Amino acid sequence: MRIIIIGGGEIGFALASQLARDHSVSIIDSVVAVGERFDAVDVAFVRGSGTSAEALGRAGVATTDLLIACTGLDEINMVACAVARRLGAARTICFVSREDFAGSDSSAEAVQTHFGIERIIWPEAQLAEEIERIIRSPGAIDAETFAEGRIQLLEFRLPASSRLIGSPLAALRLPPGALIVAVKRSDTIEIPRGDTHLLADDKIFVMGVPIAVAEIAPQVHAGREGRAAQLVTIIGGGDVGYRLAQRLDTGGIDLRVIERDRTRGELLASSLRHALVLHGDGTDLELLESEAIGRSDVLVSVIDNDERNLLASLLGRQLGVARLITRVSRPANLRLFERVGIDVALSARGAAVNALVHEIQGGRARLLAVLEEGQATIVEITVPAGFSPRALMDMKAPAHSIVGAILRGTEVIVPRGADQIRAQDRLLVFAAADAVARVRNYFGSA
Amino acid sequence: MRLSVLAQTTGTFLLYFSGAFAAPLGVAVLYREWTDALGFLGAGLLSAAVGWLCARGRSPVNGVTRVEGLAIVSAAWVLIAASAALPYLVSGLGPIDAMFESMSGLTTTGATVIRDFTAHGHGLFFWRSLTQWFGGMGVIALFVAVLPKLGIAGRQLFFAEAPGPVDEKLTPQIRKTAGALWAVYAGLTVLQFVALLATGMPVFDSACHALTTLAAGGFSPHPSSVAGYQNPAAEWVITAFMFVAGANFALHYRALRGEWRAFLHDEEFRAYVAIVGVSVLLLMVFLRADLVGPVERVRVSAFQVLSILTTTGFASADFQLWNEQAKMVLLALMFIGGCAGSAAGGPKIVRQLLIARYTLNEVRRTLHPRAVLPVKLGGRVVPEEIMRGVLVFFLFYLLVFAVSTLVVSALGADLLTAITASIACLGNIGPGFNAVGPMASFADLHPVSRVVLTAAMWVGRLEILTVLAVLHPDAWRVLRR
Repeated sequence: MRIIIIGGGEIGFALASQLARDHSVSIIDSVVAVGERFDAVDVAFVRGSGTSAEALGRAGVATTDLLIACTGLDEINMVACAVARRLGAARTICFVSREDFAGSDSSAEAVQTHFGIERIIWPEAQLAEEIERIIRSPGAIDAETFAEGRIQLLEFRLPASSRLIGSPLAALRLPPGALIVAVKRSDTIEIPRGDTHLLADDKIFVMGVPIAVAEIAPQVHAGREGRAAQLVTIIGGGDVGYRLAQRLDTGGIDLRVIERDRTRGELLASSLRHALVLHGDGTDLELLESEAIGRSDVLVSVIDNDERNLLASLLGRQLGVARLITRVSRPANLRLFERVGIDVALSARGAAVNALVHEIQGGRARLLAVLEEGQATIVEITVPAGFSPRALMDMKAPAHSIVGAILRGTEVIVPRGADQIRAQDRLLVFAAADAVARVRNYFGSA
Repeated sequence: MRLSVLAQTTGTFLLYFSGAFAAPLGVAVLYREWTDALGFLGAGLLSAAVGWLCARGRSPVNGVTRVEGLAIVSAAWVLIAASAALPYLVSGLGPIDAMFESMSGLTTTGATVIRDFTAHGHGLFFWRSLTQWFGGMGVIALFVAVLPKLGIAGRQLFFAEAPGPVDEKLTPQIRKTAGALWAVYAGLTVLQFVALLATGMPVFDSACHALTTLAAGGFSPHPSSVAGYQNPAAEWVITAFMFVAGANFALHYRALRGEWRAFLHDEEFRAYVAIVGVSVLLLMVFLRADLVGPVERVRVSAFQVLSILTTTGFASADFQLWNEQAKMVLLALMFIGGCAGSAAGGPKIVRQLLIARYTLNEVRRTLHPRAVLPVKLGGRVVPEEIMRGVLVFFLFYLLVFAVSTLVVSALGADLLTAITASIACLGNIGPGFNAVGPMASFADLHPVSRVVLTAAMWVGRLEILTVLAVLHPDAWRVLRR
């Protein structure tokens, strides 16, 4: 596939380095220094403006299959998409960072159509939604929902005190309708069997219907980590913090937002109904202490600076915060953060890039979620019409994959070995990165 | 400040205002009150002459500065009040009393110094009511609406006179906004006139009451106010229209255009309804021994609550005779007033709402010293300048109230009389308690007290800061050049 990426910033670089192996990628950026950064990657660098027809022409826009506009400026991205589409680009994807163009109302859709944009990606909003899901799932370090909310996937890290540790999986009394689909131990993902023993510090992936999945949390965490969050503190009222606060500001959660900039704080306070906006620095220990931030069930640190995020989070931990969720800008910092005790470390751009790369690579299977920085995915597969019904345990499913849920019409089945798979079923399959292709082929050929 | 601009604009206003004397002249002729008719004719001609002299021979105004706008409004109100006082002089009142009665009319206060109602003719009572009607929606607003040549200047004048801190424009052009408000106002007045006729009230009295109800004025041609008619149906009609007069006319305008929901979304209107509801219930409880039957209890309570809250000042009963608790409810209402953008006076509900929220925020701030706590109204943040303006307004309001009370009581009135006379004049309400009760007259007060109260009505109607700004040395500094 021929791909043009406009903007050689962090997103552009991450996309290019992952896509360059299998596709022919051109980067357009007006800064020469950016080009040098791409020397190590096998891409063509075109110097020029992404909105100039001439530069787009040099990058071969007429025959390109996909154009991704990911400069830091929304307007440039949109105009670039519009121009490229005119000049013959088959598909366009546009990154935005403001609400103006990505709102959910029909006018935003009209704008999208007008500019010939196939998809708008707003990483900050996606991150805010993801953090909200995690906050609303007690004790979880990742949370996804599928099939209009009928199926939920939660990821937990097991503390040493967890009730799930000690006995083999088969002996655990898990709520019906919930399934432990995978275990991640020392960086490898395994599909557990009945005789698997869970250990402390394992990450487990639980899939199932929401009521059943919610019952797992108290079994993972004995203390208040396992209970629904009531007091949430957000440090940083930027794009992500603001959106997250809006989503949580329904009155059920006692919400505090700490923002360093006075004017920004006023903007937040004006549009949030219930939240308490505090003007100050998230790393100011005196402020954190006087506002009793330590009593928070969740502390979300979403400043645009990794070091300060880490400092604020660790201060929160010192003061006794139960769960820490922290934004990471540099993907390399993700593991570092988790190693020093951050419960959930998330990268806005990282998540968006991973999702996009999987989508481009994945072809026909519908990709629903990317987990653990791309180590695993949830894909949806529709069973072909000619498939003769057979029980799950009789199938030789590809290694490193498991059917987490069967959607049959309006029915949702969290399968056990004896459950049958029939033609036209929609399967939600958990698959490690190396198994995705095999899973697709398995049903494709069957 | 350019005195020529001041003279020309106020002169023009006076010239146009002189046309208003035609109405009472007609009424006086109709009732064959020839002396009064001559008085109206003379007053009209004199006003026209003075106005013409002021406005004569000056080049048309191109733009008015802020100070000039405030000065024009302040001066025009005094000048027009003086002009409107002329018929009272002819009818036998002294200069201080004539000015008091005239200012009480134009500012829609409704306080009266007339003791003997039989000594004056129909023409004069009609004039009294008509001045209130002009003052209700604002004389200046009327001029802005009908005088095309005011142009841009109209904007300054309109807001200098407008009641309440929120400058809401219904249409992009200020002239059309003023016109729309006046049209709604006039239409409602006609509607009430018809409704009062239907209850069996005589034509003359219906007209007078319709003119003074929508204006939240409170002048009645009857010495015992509305109580003198013993007509429950008319009381209900007046109660309903007082409620309308106390609400924001911008909302009425939008409702007439089909946006009924505007009422529900308006926080001030909801507070207005809540205050009325609670006060009526309180009065019903406190007056349970005095009033017989639930219907009468509701009617009398609702009438008096709305009469005081909307600063109209009618009385359907002599509330001077009520018990202390009931009077206390009315006294509290005197400090609230109607909605911004209504015909009502007082500090206005929206200001009290903002002050309450500001205070609550300060309480919260002692718990969270670093909290960012903007004051919100209708989901939107109230800008710091407006909030400050509201606080300063209220402080000055209380200051003027205190000074006025001090003067009136120092000159011989008892404390309750002094307090209620001051708040009733400053808030443009009308009657107070004791010596200035609903069936009494302000004529018993010391002459200096009456002058001070006349000034209080003027300052209260123009919402204090308009007048204070003109009195500030800065406003006059330019003049010396």
